[in-house]
Amino acid sequence: MITVTNFSKQYKGFTAVKDLSFSVEPGQILGLLGPNGAGKTTTLRTLCGIIPPSSGNLSVAGHDVVQAPIAAKANLGYIPDDPRLFDTMTVWEHLAFTAAAYKLADFEKDAEALLASFELTHKRNTVVHNLSRGMRQKVAIACAFLHNPKVILFDEPLTGLDPQGIRRIQQAIRERAQAGASIIISSHLLSLFENLCTHIMVLSLGECRRFGTMEDLLSEVGTTDSTSALEEVYFSITQASDETSDAAAV
Amino acid sequence: MDSALSQLLILRLRGGLRERLLQLASLRGLLLSLAFGGIVWFVIVSNGSPDTRFLDSEALDWQALNGQIMTFMPLSMLGLSLLTVLMTTGPTFHFSPNEINFLFTGPFRRRDLILYKFCAYIAGVTLTSLFVTLMAPPQAGSPLFVFIATLLTLVFVQLNSAVIGMAGHAVEGSWLAKIRWPATALFGAIAAGAVLYAWATPDYGIIDLLSAFRHSWIGSIVLFPYIVFAELYVAETVSHLALWALVAVVINAVLLRAVILLDARTTDRALAENARMSGRWERIREGGSFFATQQTELRSIRRAPILGGLGPIAWRQTLNALRNSSKIFIIFAGLAACIAPISLAVGAPLTDPETLMVVYVFFAFILPRNLVCDFRGDLSRMEIYKTLPIAPWRICAGQLVVQVLLAYAIALTMIASTLFFETGVTAQFALVLAAFTLPLTFLIYAVENTVHLVFPTNLMAMGRADFEFLGRSVVEFMVKTIFVFTAIAVSGAVGLFTFKTVGNTLILPGLTSWLTLTFIGLLTLVALQYAFLRFAVAETID
Repeated sequence: MITVTNFSKQYKGFTAVKDLSFSVEPGQILGLLGPNGAGKTTTLRTLCGIIPPSSGNLSVAGHDVVQAPIAAKANLGYIPDDPRLFDTMTVWEHLAFTAAAYKLADFEKDAEALLASFELTHKRNTVVHNLSRGMRQKVAIACAFLHNPKVILFDEPLTGLDPQGIRRIQQAIRERAQAGASIIISSHLLSLFENLCTHIMVLSLGECRRFGTMEDLLSEVGTTDSTSALEEVYFSITQASDETSDAAAV
Repeated sequence: MDSALSQLLILRLRGGLRERLLQLASLRGLLLSLAFGGIVWFVIVSNGSPDTRFLDSEALDWQALNGQIMTFMPLSMLGLSLLTVLMTTGPTFHFSPNEINFLFTGPFRRRDLILYKFCAYIAGVTLTSLFVTLMAPPQAGSPLFVFIATLLTLVFVQLNSAVIGMAGHAVEGSWLAKIRWPATALFGAIAAGAVLYAWATPDYGIIDLLSAFRHSWIGSIVLFPYIVFAELYVAETVSHLALWALVAVVINAVLLRAVILLDARTTDRALAENARMSGRWERIREGGSFFATQQTELRSIRRAPILGGLGPIAWRQTLNALRNSSKIFIIFAGLAACIAPISLAVGAPLTDPETLMVVYVFFAFILPRNLVCDFRGDLSRMEIYKTLPIAPWRICAGQLVVQVLLAYAIALTMIASTLFFETGVTAQFALVLAAFTLPLTFLIYAVENTVHLVFPTNLMAMGRADFEFLGRSVVEFMVKTIFVFTAIAVSGAVGLFTFKTVGNTLILPGLTSWLTLTFIGLLTLVALQYAFLRFAVAETID
């Protein structure tokens, strides 16, 4: 459902992502893991058509994001790390806008259900600039879910959410995956990956250091007393790549 | 004032200066600053040369102008004060969220914080006064006189507004607050009575009535604090200036003392006002309007129009205009309606090239800077537009629809006003003007948005000395003007060619001319689409 082949992205001579290839099938949840500047957000933004790739092919639901951007975007839901909503519009107006943008004829029932599931029903007519950050995050997620996308990309989905909100979003992500959506999550919260992801990709300095199923990665390290297995994997990979780049620099 | 606050003030001023110097270090910043400096230099040189002077000093009777200043400046300042009373939430001393977090929790007295803000304000208005002094024509008197008068007046305006606003907050809930609206109604009735009297009395206008009030004994008493500042502007000798400057300083000192006293009674309210003002500034930085809705709950239609993807974008901007820009629209429509009668009153009919230039600046510079319902106000939300499954040209067209229609409505108001007041303007001419104004308005905003997407930046200056912003505004306006005038020239040339070819009728040349202008506008939409596609949303490399 998501296919990325030899994707690279350069910014003014700086390589943010280098020769990245992977795929995410329906029902899979891929966790993008890596330190700051690893290229996670660049990958997500390129997949959803915000920035163009320098080279390589990226497709969403069988549509190339460069050749057929409209068809690709029609099957995609993106939740950015900082939900920049339209400050003078109400919660319901955001859903109505999304429905019109994705040409959804009968959206009201689904919209009501989303509002109820994210505990936003009583905020339906509230102007979004009066909402807390967590609430705005929920509105952004509800908008992204409204057209039932086949591919969903989350960039730090739990920022600003309360414990109930975190549980609700995690549940929603699982349900979407079970319904056949391909999902990518970028986050620094390793516990989120352990709870949700079927696959993990570790990025460092724009390159893929490890890609595999969660079981494969965890079996490499096993559990330790003080830290989680994923944390152990993460640090062993990223520290090794740091040492390699330092040696190359010398 | 606390020494730490003095140090903070110096550090912030130094930081501001460093930021300006850093602007000069980049090629773009240097060029834009040079452009702004060039315009200022041109105005100064023009003022000094009798051949190119903007204000024709020979025609202006400076003695008469001084008389006008003495009559109408105090009245205007009284009007501003009354407006502040009516609005209640006038600008008190505004602390930014950063200042509240750092300074309100620090070991500082409120008095020191007020003094700190006052000193910061003095630094800002000193710069403004210098600028005004540079731009003033030589006939306005000694530059030092102009500088002192402007500085003291600007300080007075700020302190006066603050005292009125804070006094309003202090009496909230008391009987004094309850008489505000009856007093306003009484004042309105007196004003309406005065207007009626002036209207009913032949050869005696509202200006004469205001002038008579100003020069009456009661007017002189009521307006005394304001007369002091008018005296500063008309002072001809050093002793005259020194006397009135001393009185002005005393008035300002009394007002500052009143601010400090009132502040102790309005701390909670001041915090709420600060939060509201910070929200407004943040909104303006993102391209919104100062007058955005304060309502929390709003109802609207359940469904947005689709129209092939153009509908939701236009609907979003319609809601934006209704909730953010309705007051701005009303103000500009009112100003447009007044242009024709005012131009007639000052003896400069709209057919004069100079008046037409003023009208052009109004429509192509002032209006677009204030009425923002397109891409320019949505730069922080470009991510949303980029991820929508809508063709880029539809997104661009949807962004322009509301902005163009609002600006066109304002232009139509002015055309209607011209038809009503100008005897030389016929209905036929007004219709032709209305027909051509639509593609012209579209062209202006398509160019404005294209330039903004190619060189995205804040819509507001970051401080009084943001020369890069000022230079950029000037350069943008010049580029837009060259493009618009070229389009008009091409359209006119096509019309002229058709007229010479067909002859006898004006309909066909007019139509070809209109079509050419519309075609150029549509070509600009293609350029806007290209700019939208290549717009780089903050290139985060995480």
